[in-house]
Amino acid sequence: MDKNSHLETVIRTHQITKEKELLNKHIQKKNEVKNALEDEYGSNVYAPFNSGSYEKNTAINTKFDFDLVSPFRRNAFGSGGTLKEMYEAVYDFLFHKYKNVAEVRKQKVSIGLEFYTDSDGDKIKIDVVPGRELNQDQYKDDENLNLFVYYKYGNIDAGSERIKTNVQSQINNIKERANKEKDSIRKIIRLLKVWKNTKGNYPTKSFFLELITIKAFDKGNITGNLWDKLKAVLEYIRDNITNSDFTLKDPGNSSNDLADTLTDSEKDQLANDMKNMLDRIKENDENLKTYFPENPKFKEEDKNRYKTNGSIPMPPPKLNFG
Amino acid sequence: MSLEAHEELLNGLVEKGKSHYPNEFGGILVGYYSQDNTYLHITDTILPKTFKASKFSFERSTKGIERKLGIYYKEIPKQFYVGEWHTHPDNSPIPSLTDISALNAIINNQDACLANPVLLIIGYSKRKVDFGFYVWFENKLYRYE
Ligand SMILES: [Zn+2]
Repeated sequence: MDKNSHLETVIRTHQITKEKELLNKHIQKKNEVKNALEDEYGSNVYAPFNSGSYEKNTAINTKFDFDLVSPFRRNAFGSGGTLKEMYEAVYDFLFHKYKNVAEVRKQKVSIGLEFYTDSDGDKIKIDVVPGRELNQDQYKDDENLNLFVYYKYGNIDAGSERIKTNVQSQINNIKERANKEKDSIRKIIRLLKVWKNTKGNYPTKSFFLELITIKAFDKGNITGNLWDKLKAVLEYIRDNITNSDFTLKDPGNSSNDLADTLTDSEKDQLANDMKNMLDRIKENDENLKTYFPENPKFKEEDKNRYKTNGSIPMPPPKLNFG
Repeated sequence: MSLEAHEELLNGLVEKGKSHYPNEFGGILVGYYSQDNTYLHITDTILPKTFKASKFSFERSTKGIERKLGIYYKEIPKQFYVGEWHTHPDNSPIPSLTDISALNAIINNQDACLANPVLLIIGYSKRKVDFGFYVWFENKLYRYE
Protein backbone atom coordinates (compact mmCIF):
# COMPACT_ATOMS: atom_id res chain seq x y z
CA MET A 1 0.00 0.00 0.00
CA ASP A 2 1.19 3.49 -0.84
CA LYS A 3 0.74 5.36 2.42
CA ASN A 4 1.26 8.75 0.84
CA SER A 5 -1.29 8.37 -1.86
CA HIS A 6 -3.82 7.16 0.70
CA LEU A 7 -3.15 10.18 2.91
CA GLU A 8 -3.48 12.52 -0.06
CA THR A 9 -6.79 10.89 -0.89
CA VAL A 10 -7.98 11.35 2.69
CA ILE A 11 -7.20 15.04 2.52
CA ARG A 12 -8.74 15.44 -0.89
CA THR A 13 -11.94 13.64 -0.04
CA HIS A 14 -12.37 15.72 3.07
CA GLN A 15 -11.67 18.95 1.32
CA ILE A 16 -14.09 21.65 1.99
CA THR A 17 -15.09 22.32 -1.59
CA LYS A 18 -16.80 18.95 -1.76
CA GLU A 19 -19.43 20.16 0.59
CA LYS A 20 -19.62 23.71 -0.50
CA GLU A 21 -23.35 23.57 -0.17
CA LEU A 22 -23.23 22.57 3.46
CA LEU A 23 -20.64 25.23 4.05
CA ASN A 24 -22.91 27.83 2.49
CA LYS A 25 -25.69 26.79 4.83
CA HIS A 26 -23.37 27.29 7.78
CA ILE A 27 -22.31 30.68 6.53
CA GLN A 28 -25.91 31.68 6.07
CA LYS A 29 -26.89 30.55 9.55
CA LYS A 30 -23.83 32.18 11.04
CA ASN A 31 -24.83 35.46 9.41
CA GLU A 32 -28.36 35.09 10.74
CA VAL A 33 -27.10 34.61 14.28
CA LYS A 34 -24.62 37.46 13.86
CA ASN A 35 -27.42 39.78 12.75
CA ALA A 36 -29.63 38.68 15.62
CA LEU A 37 -26.85 39.49 18.11
CA GLU A 38 -26.22 42.85 16.52
CA ASP A 39 -29.93 43.68 16.52
CA GLU A 40 -30.26 42.71 20.15
CA TYR A 41 -27.13 44.35 21.50
CA GLY A 42 -26.67 47.26 19.14
CA SER A 43 -23.67 49.38 20.05
CA ASN A 44 -22.91 47.15 23.03
CA VAL A 45 -21.34 44.58 20.75
CA TYR A 46 -18.52 44.87 18.23
CA ALA A 47 -18.91 42.99 14.98
CA PRO A 48 -19.14 39.27 15.78
CA PHE A 49 -16.70 37.23 13.67
CA ASN A 50 -16.09 33.64 12.79
CA SER A 51 -13.07 31.98 14.35
CA GLY A 52 -13.91 28.44 13.38
CA SER A 53 -11.65 26.31 11.32
CA TYR A 54 -13.05 27.49 8.03
CA GLU A 55 -11.46 30.86 8.71
CA LYS A 56 -8.26 29.16 9.66
CA ASN A 57 -8.08 27.33 6.40
CA THR A 58 -7.72 23.86 7.82
CA ALA A 59 -11.33 22.79 7.84
CA ILE A 60 -12.23 19.28 6.91
CA ASN A 61 -15.62 18.74 5.49
CA THR A 62 -17.23 16.14 7.66
CA LYS A 63 -17.69 18.74 10.36
CA PHE A 64 -17.42 22.47 10.36
CA ASP A 65 -16.24 24.34 13.41
CA PHE A 66 -18.25 27.48 13.34
CA ASP A 67 -17.34 29.59 16.32
CA LEU A 68 -18.98 32.96 16.26
CA VAL A 69 -17.03 35.18 18.62
CA SER A 70 -19.18 37.95 19.95
CA PRO A 71 -17.06 40.78 21.42
CA PHE A 72 -19.02 42.81 23.95
CA ARG A 73 -18.17 46.21 25.32
CA ARG A 74 -16.92 46.35 28.87
CA ASN A 75 -20.12 47.99 30.14
CA ALA A 76 -22.54 46.04 27.96
CA PHE A 77 -23.98 44.30 31.00
CA GLY A 78 -23.68 47.20 33.39
CA SER A 79 -20.49 48.74 34.70
CA GLY A 80 -20.33 46.14 37.47
CA GLY A 81 -21.52 43.28 35.29
CA THR A 82 -19.66 40.01 35.63
CA LEU A 83 -18.57 37.65 32.86
CA LYS A 84 -21.02 35.13 34.24
CA GLU A 85 -23.82 37.64 33.77
CA MET A 86 -22.68 38.22 30.20
CA TYR A 87 -22.65 34.51 29.52
CA GLU A 88 -26.07 33.94 31.08
CA ALA A 89 -27.62 36.93 29.31
CA VAL A 90 -26.41 35.77 25.92
CA TYR A 91 -27.59 32.26 26.68
CA ASP A 92 -31.05 33.53 27.64
CA PHE A 93 -31.27 35.61 24.52
CA LEU A 94 -30.22 32.76 22.21
CA PHE A 95 -32.40 30.27 24.03
CA HIS A 96 -35.55 32.34 23.61
CA LYS A 97 -34.72 33.22 20.06
CA TYR A 98 -33.86 29.71 18.84
CA LYS A 99 -35.49 27.24 21.24
CA ASN A 100 -38.07 26.20 18.63
CA VAL A 101 -35.61 25.55 15.85
CA ALA A 102 -32.49 24.41 17.63
CA GLU A 103 -31.00 22.68 20.59
CA VAL A 104 -29.44 25.46 22.66
CA ARG A 105 -26.86 24.37 25.18
CA LYS A 106 -24.23 25.73 27.50
CA GLN A 107 -20.73 24.56 26.62
CA LYS A 108 -17.22 25.18 27.93
CA VAL A 109 -16.85 28.79 26.87
CA SER A 110 -19.56 28.98 24.25
CA ILE A 111 -23.27 28.52 23.71
CA GLY A 112 -24.02 25.80 21.20
CA LEU A 113 -26.80 26.15 18.70
CA GLU A 114 -27.56 22.89 17.00
CA PHE A 115 -30.28 23.48 14.46
CA TYR A 116 -32.69 20.64 13.88
CA THR A 117 -32.00 18.56 10.80
CA ASP A 118 -33.25 20.34 7.72
CA SER A 119 -35.04 18.86 4.72
CA ASP A 120 -31.74 17.82 3.14
CA GLY A 121 -30.80 15.92 6.28
CA ASP A 122 -28.15 18.46 7.20
CA LYS A 123 -27.46 19.59 10.71
CA ILE A 124 -26.03 23.05 11.18
CA LYS A 125 -24.11 23.81 14.34
CA ILE A 126 -22.89 27.22 15.39
CA ASP A 127 -21.08 27.95 18.62
CA VAL A 128 -21.46 31.46 19.95
CA VAL A 129 -18.51 32.55 22.09
CA PRO A 130 -19.38 35.60 24.20
CA GLY A 131 -16.34 37.65 25.14
CA ARG A 132 -15.86 41.01 26.78
CA GLU A 133 -13.20 43.61 26.20
CA LEU A 134 -10.87 44.18 29.16
CA ASN A 135 -11.59 47.88 29.52
CA GLN A 136 -14.11 50.14 27.90
CA ASP A 137 -13.13 50.79 24.24
CA GLN A 138 -9.91 48.80 24.54
CA TYR A 139 -10.92 46.06 22.10
CA LYS A 140 -10.18 48.26 19.12
CA ASP A 141 -6.55 48.48 20.26
CA ASP A 142 -5.65 45.03 21.49
CA GLU A 143 -8.54 42.79 20.40
CA ASN A 144 -8.28 40.95 23.69
CA LEU A 145 -11.38 39.44 25.22
CA ASN A 146 -12.30 37.83 28.50
CA LEU A 147 -14.31 34.68 28.13
CA PHE A 148 -16.39 32.98 30.76
CA VAL A 149 -15.61 29.35 31.53
CA TYR A 150 -18.96 27.70 32.01
CA TYR A 151 -17.69 24.36 33.08
CA LYS A 152 -14.36 22.86 33.99
CA TYR A 153 -12.23 21.49 31.25
CA GLY A 154 -8.66 20.33 31.39
CA ASN A 155 -7.06 22.06 34.34
CA ILE A 156 -9.19 25.18 33.94
CA ASP A 157 -11.86 25.64 36.57
CA ALA A 158 -15.52 26.34 35.98
CA GLY A 159 -16.54 29.89 36.75
CA SER A 160 -13.04 31.15 36.15
CA GLU A 161 -12.69 34.39 34.29
CA ARG A 162 -9.05 34.24 33.47
CA ILE A 163 -9.06 33.15 29.87
CA LYS A 164 -8.10 36.01 27.69
CA THR A 165 -7.19 35.54 24.08
CA ASN A 166 -6.62 37.66 21.10
CA VAL A 167 -8.68 35.43 18.89
CA GLN A 168 -7.81 37.35 15.75
CA SER A 169 -4.12 36.73 16.22
CA GLN A 170 -4.76 33.04 16.74
CA ILE A 171 -6.42 33.02 13.40
CA ASN A 172 -3.64 34.98 11.76
CA ASN A 173 -0.91 32.88 13.31
CA ILE A 174 -2.29 29.69 11.89
CA LYS A 175 -3.00 31.26 8.53
CA GLU A 176 0.51 32.64 8.30
CA ARG A 177 2.23 29.48 9.37
CA ALA A 178 0.10 27.37 7.13
CA ASN A 179 1.06 29.55 4.20
CA LYS A 180 4.73 29.62 5.05
CA GLU A 181 5.28 25.90 5.31
CA LYS A 182 3.21 25.67 2.20
CA ASP A 183 1.03 22.65 2.42
CA SER A 184 2.66 20.47 5.01
CA ILE A 185 1.32 21.91 8.25
CA ARG A 186 -2.10 22.37 6.80
CA LYS A 187 -2.23 18.81 5.58
CA ILE A 188 -1.09 17.39 8.90
CA ILE A 189 -3.65 19.47 10.77
CA ARG A 190 -6.35 18.26 8.42
CA LEU A 191 -5.31 14.67 8.96
CA LEU A 192 -5.29 15.08 12.74
CA LYS A 193 -8.80 16.51 12.57
CA VAL A 194 -9.92 13.57 10.46
CA TRP A 195 -8.49 11.28 13.11
CA LYS A 196 -10.11 13.28 15.94
CA ASN A 197 -13.48 12.98 14.21
CA THR A 198 -13.16 9.21 14.15
CA LYS A 199 -12.93 9.36 17.94
CA GLY A 200 -16.30 11.00 18.50
CA ASN A 201 -16.29 13.38 21.39
CA TYR A 202 -12.56 13.59 22.03
CA PRO A 203 -11.33 16.01 24.70
CA THR A 204 -8.55 17.49 22.57
CA LYS A 205 -9.64 20.71 20.95
CA SER A 206 -8.95 21.37 17.29
CA PHE A 207 -7.03 24.46 18.25
CA PHE A 208 -4.80 22.33 20.45
CA LEU A 209 -4.02 19.99 17.56
CA GLU A 210 -3.25 22.96 15.35
CA LEU A 211 -0.83 24.47 17.83
CA ILE A 212 0.90 21.24 18.68
CA THR A 213 1.44 20.52 14.99
CA ILE A 214 3.00 23.93 14.55
CA LYS A 215 5.14 23.39 17.63
CA ALA A 216 6.28 19.99 16.34
CA PHE A 217 7.38 21.66 13.11
CA ASP A 218 9.21 24.31 15.14
CA LYS A 219 10.99 21.85 17.40
CA GLY A 220 11.53 18.73 15.42
CA ASN A 221 13.20 17.87 12.20
CA ILE A 222 10.09 17.28 10.15
CA THR A 223 11.00 16.31 6.64
CA GLY A 224 10.31 13.70 4.02
CA ASN A 225 7.05 12.77 2.39
CA LEU A 226 3.59 13.28 3.83
CA TRP A 227 3.62 10.06 5.81
CA ASP A 228 7.11 10.80 7.21
CA LYS A 229 5.91 14.19 8.36
CA LEU A 230 2.68 12.90 9.84
CA LYS A 231 4.61 10.16 11.63
CA ALA A 232 7.08 12.69 13.04
CA VAL A 233 4.25 14.84 14.39
CA LEU A 234 2.51 11.82 15.95
CA GLU A 235 5.81 10.83 17.57
CA TYR A 236 6.32 14.36 18.80
CA ILE A 237 2.93 14.33 20.50
CA ARG A 238 3.53 10.87 21.92
CA ASP A 239 6.92 11.81 23.36
CA ASN A 240 6.19 15.29 24.67
CA ILE A 241 2.61 15.75 25.72
CA THR A 242 2.95 14.07 29.11
CA ASN A 243 6.16 15.84 30.09
CA SER A 244 5.42 17.94 33.13
CA ASP A 245 7.16 20.95 31.62
CA PHE A 246 5.38 20.71 28.31
CA THR A 247 3.60 23.95 27.38
CA LEU A 248 1.61 25.07 24.41
CA LYS A 249 1.57 28.83 24.33
CA ASP A 250 -1.44 30.53 22.86
CA PRO A 251 -0.09 32.89 20.17
CA GLY A 252 -2.93 35.24 21.07
CA ASN A 253 -1.67 35.51 24.62
CA SER A 254 1.47 33.88 25.88
CA SER A 255 0.16 33.68 29.43
CA ASN A 256 -2.44 31.26 28.14
CA ASP A 257 -1.19 27.70 28.10
CA LEU A 258 -3.27 25.41 25.92
CA ALA A 259 -1.65 22.45 27.61
CA ASP A 260 -3.94 23.32 30.51
CA THR A 261 -6.98 22.52 28.42
CA LEU A 262 -6.31 18.82 28.99
CA THR A 263 -6.18 17.06 32.32
CA ASP A 264 -3.23 14.81 33.08
CA SER A 265 -5.22 11.70 32.34
CA GLU A 266 -6.44 13.17 29.06
CA LYS A 267 -2.81 13.83 28.15
CA ASP A 268 -1.97 10.22 29.00
CA GLN A 269 -4.80 9.09 26.79
CA LEU A 270 -3.58 11.24 23.91
CA ALA A 271 0.00 9.96 24.25
CA ASN A 272 -1.30 6.41 24.40
CA ASP A 273 -3.49 6.86 21.36
CA MET A 274 -0.50 8.18 19.44
CA LYS A 275 1.62 5.24 20.55
CA ASN A 276 -1.03 2.69 19.60
CA MET A 277 -1.64 4.31 16.29
CA LEU A 278 2.05 4.33 15.42
CA ASP A 279 2.49 0.73 16.56
CA ARG A 280 -0.51 -0.55 14.61
CA ILE A 281 0.55 1.22 11.44
CA LYS A 282 4.05 -0.13 11.85
CA GLU A 283 2.64 -3.65 12.09
CA ASN A 284 0.53 -3.21 9.02
CA ASP A 285 0.30 -0.29 6.62
CA GLU A 286 -3.36 -1.03 6.00
CA ASN A 287 -4.18 0.09 9.53
CA LEU A 288 -3.54 3.62 8.39
CA LYS A 289 -6.98 3.48 6.79
CA THR A 290 -8.62 2.83 10.14
CA TYR A 291 -7.15 5.93 11.68
CA PHE A 292 -7.39 8.14 8.62
CA PRO A 293 -10.43 7.03 6.66
CA GLU A 294 -11.51 8.55 3.41
CA ASN A 295 -14.59 10.70 3.63
CA PRO A 296 -17.51 8.31 3.15
CA LYS A 297 -19.57 11.19 1.83
CA PHE A 298 -17.21 11.49 -1.10
CA LYS A 299 -19.12 9.31 -3.51
CA GLU A 300 -17.52 7.17 -6.16
CA GLU A 301 -19.60 8.88 -8.80
CA ASP A 302 -17.70 12.07 -8.08
CA LYS A 303 -14.86 10.45 -9.89
CA ASN A 304 -14.64 11.27 -13.56
CA ARG A 305 -16.57 14.44 -13.12
CA TYR A 306 -15.32 17.95 -13.28
CA LYS A 307 -15.48 19.49 -9.89
CA THR A 308 -17.09 22.83 -9.29
CA ASN A 309 -17.73 24.61 -6.07
CA GLY A 310 -20.02 27.41 -7.04
CA SER A 311 -17.55 30.26 -7.05
CA ILE A 312 -16.36 31.95 -10.20
CA PRO A 313 -12.96 30.55 -11.22
CA MET A 314 -10.33 33.19 -11.81
CA PRO A 315 -6.94 32.66 -13.45
CA PRO A 316 -3.86 33.22 -11.30
CA PRO A 317 -2.37 36.61 -12.17
CA LYS A 318 0.90 35.46 -13.65
CA LEU A 319 1.64 32.08 -15.12
CA ASN A 320 4.70 30.64 -16.83
CA PHE A 321 4.75 27.96 -19.45
CA GLY A 322 7.67 26.29 -21.15
CA MET B 1 -14.72 13.24 -18.36
CA SER B 2 -14.64 14.53 -21.83
CA LEU B 3 -14.18 17.76 -23.62
CA GLU B 4 -15.41 19.51 -26.69
CA ALA B 5 -14.08 22.47 -28.61
CA HIS B 6 -15.16 23.71 -31.99
CA GLU B 7 -12.79 23.35 -34.89
CA GLU B 8 -13.27 27.00 -35.67
CA LEU B 9 -11.97 28.00 -32.26
CA LEU B 10 -9.04 25.60 -32.49
CA ASN B 11 -8.10 26.86 -35.95
CA GLY B 12 -8.21 30.38 -34.58
CA LEU B 13 -5.82 29.42 -31.78
CA VAL B 14 -3.41 27.82 -34.27
CA GLU B 15 -3.49 30.94 -36.42
CA LYS B 16 -2.88 33.23 -33.45
CA GLY B 17 -0.10 30.97 -32.24
CA LYS B 18 1.60 30.80 -35.60
CA SER B 19 1.56 34.59 -35.96
CA HIS B 20 4.03 34.70 -33.06
CA TYR B 21 6.47 32.22 -34.58
CA PRO B 22 9.20 31.44 -33.54
CA ASN B 23 7.97 32.37 -30.07
CA GLU B 24 5.45 30.59 -27.93
CA PHE B 25 2.07 32.18 -27.43
CA GLY B 26 -1.13 31.41 -25.56
CA GLY B 27 -4.05 32.55 -23.49
CA ILE B 28 -6.77 31.36 -21.20
CA LEU B 29 -9.62 29.07 -22.11
CA VAL B 30 -13.25 29.88 -21.43
CA GLY B 31 -16.05 27.36 -21.27
CA TYR B 32 -18.63 25.60 -19.17
CA TYR B 33 -19.39 22.14 -17.82
CA SER B 34 -22.42 20.08 -18.70
CA GLN B 35 -25.15 19.80 -16.08
CA ASP B 36 -23.81 16.48 -14.79
CA ASN B 37 -20.22 17.75 -14.89
CA THR B 38 -19.04 15.04 -17.25
CA TYR B 39 -18.47 17.26 -20.31
CA LEU B 40 -16.45 20.40 -20.72
CA HIS B 41 -17.35 22.68 -23.58
CA ILE B 42 -14.55 25.05 -24.43
CA THR B 43 -16.19 28.03 -26.05
CA ASP B 44 -13.58 30.73 -26.42
CA THR B 45 -10.19 32.12 -25.55
CA ILE B 46 -9.13 35.37 -23.99
CA LEU B 47 -5.70 36.57 -25.03
CA PRO B 48 -3.46 38.40 -22.59
CA LYS B 49 -2.82 42.06 -23.25
CA THR B 50 0.70 41.75 -21.93
CA PHE B 51 3.01 38.75 -22.00
CA LYS B 52 6.64 37.74 -22.34
CA ALA B 53 7.61 35.05 -24.79
CA SER B 54 10.55 33.26 -26.32
CA LYS B 55 10.90 30.09 -28.34
CA PHE B 56 10.80 28.04 -25.14
CA SER B 57 8.80 30.11 -22.72
CA PHE B 58 5.60 32.02 -22.35
CA GLU B 59 4.50 34.16 -19.44
CA ARG B 60 1.06 35.65 -19.53
CA SER B 61 -0.51 38.28 -17.31
CA THR B 62 -4.20 38.68 -16.56
CA LYS B 63 -4.36 42.27 -17.71
CA GLY B 64 -7.79 42.84 -19.18
CA ILE B 65 -8.75 39.21 -18.65
CA GLU B 66 -10.74 39.53 -15.43
CA ARG B 67 -13.06 42.16 -16.84
CA LYS B 68 -13.75 40.06 -19.91
CA LEU B 69 -14.43 36.99 -17.76
CA GLY B 70 -17.13 38.97 -15.99
CA ILE B 71 -18.90 39.40 -19.31
CA TYR B 72 -18.71 35.69 -20.15
CA TYR B 73 -20.11 34.86 -16.76
CA LYS B 74 -23.29 36.79 -17.51
CA GLU B 75 -24.01 34.73 -20.59
CA ILE B 76 -26.27 31.70 -20.72
CA PRO B 77 -24.89 29.21 -20.00
CA LYS B 78 -22.48 30.95 -17.67
CA GLN B 79 -18.98 30.66 -19.06
CA PHE B 80 -15.87 30.90 -16.99
CA TYR B 81 -12.17 30.26 -16.79
CA VAL B 82 -11.50 26.57 -17.41
CA GLY B 83 -7.83 26.40 -18.29
CA GLU B 84 -4.92 27.59 -20.36
CA TRP B 85 -3.44 27.08 -23.79
CA HIS B 86 -0.07 27.78 -25.35
CA THR B 87 2.02 26.75 -28.31
CA HIS B 88 5.17 24.70 -28.68
CA PRO B 89 6.68 25.94 -31.95
CA ASP B 90 8.59 23.25 -33.84
CA ASN B 91 7.87 20.85 -31.05
CA SER B 92 5.44 18.20 -29.81
CA PRO B 93 2.49 19.02 -27.52
CA ILE B 94 4.06 17.38 -24.49
CA PRO B 95 3.91 19.39 -21.26
CA SER B 96 7.20 20.67 -19.91
CA LEU B 97 7.95 20.71 -16.20
CA THR B 98 7.14 24.42 -16.24
CA ASP B 99 3.74 23.59 -17.72
CA ILE B 100 3.03 21.11 -14.97
CA SER B 101 4.00 23.53 -12.25
CA ALA B 102 1.73 26.12 -13.88
CA LEU B 103 -1.15 23.71 -13.39
CA ASN B 104 -0.08 23.21 -9.81
CA ALA B 105 -0.16 26.95 -9.35
CA ILE B 106 -3.76 26.97 -10.57
CA ILE B 107 -4.82 24.19 -8.22
CA ASN B 108 -3.17 25.86 -5.27
CA ASN B 109 -4.52 29.29 -6.06
CA GLN B 110 -7.51 29.88 -3.80
CA ASP B 111 -9.08 32.38 -6.17
CA ALA B 112 -8.79 30.08 -9.13
CA CYS B 113 -10.99 27.53 -7.33
CA LEU B 114 -10.59 25.25 -10.28
CA ALA B 115 -10.10 21.60 -9.40
CA ASN B 116 -9.71 20.32 -12.94
CA PRO B 117 -7.94 22.91 -15.05
CA VAL B 118 -7.47 22.01 -18.68
CA LEU B 119 -4.22 22.54 -20.49
CA LEU B 120 -4.12 22.70 -24.27
CA ILE B 121 -0.74 22.58 -25.93
CA ILE B 122 -0.50 23.19 -29.63
CA GLY B 123 2.65 21.68 -31.04
CA TYR B 124 3.23 22.79 -34.59
CA SER B 125 5.74 22.90 -37.37
CA LYS B 126 5.48 24.02 -40.98
CA ARG B 127 3.99 20.70 -41.93
CA LYS B 128 1.68 19.73 -39.16
CA VAL B 129 -0.27 20.71 -36.08
CA ASP B 130 -0.74 18.50 -33.02
CA PHE B 131 -3.17 19.23 -30.24
CA GLY B 132 -2.46 17.96 -26.77
CA PHE B 133 -5.43 18.30 -24.42
CA TYR B 134 -4.70 17.62 -20.77
CA VAL B 135 -6.72 17.80 -17.59
CA TRP B 136 -5.58 17.84 -14.01
CA PHE B 137 -7.50 15.28 -12.01
CA GLU B 138 -6.77 14.05 -8.50
CA ASN B 139 -3.12 15.01 -8.41
CA LYS B 140 -2.32 13.76 -11.87
CA LEU B 141 -2.24 15.10 -15.35
CA TYR B 142 -4.27 13.12 -17.87
CA ARG B 143 -4.23 13.43 -21.60
CA TYR B 144 -7.54 13.23 -23.40
CA GLU B 145 -7.58 10.52 -26.00
ZN1 LIG C 1 4.64 24.21 -22.72
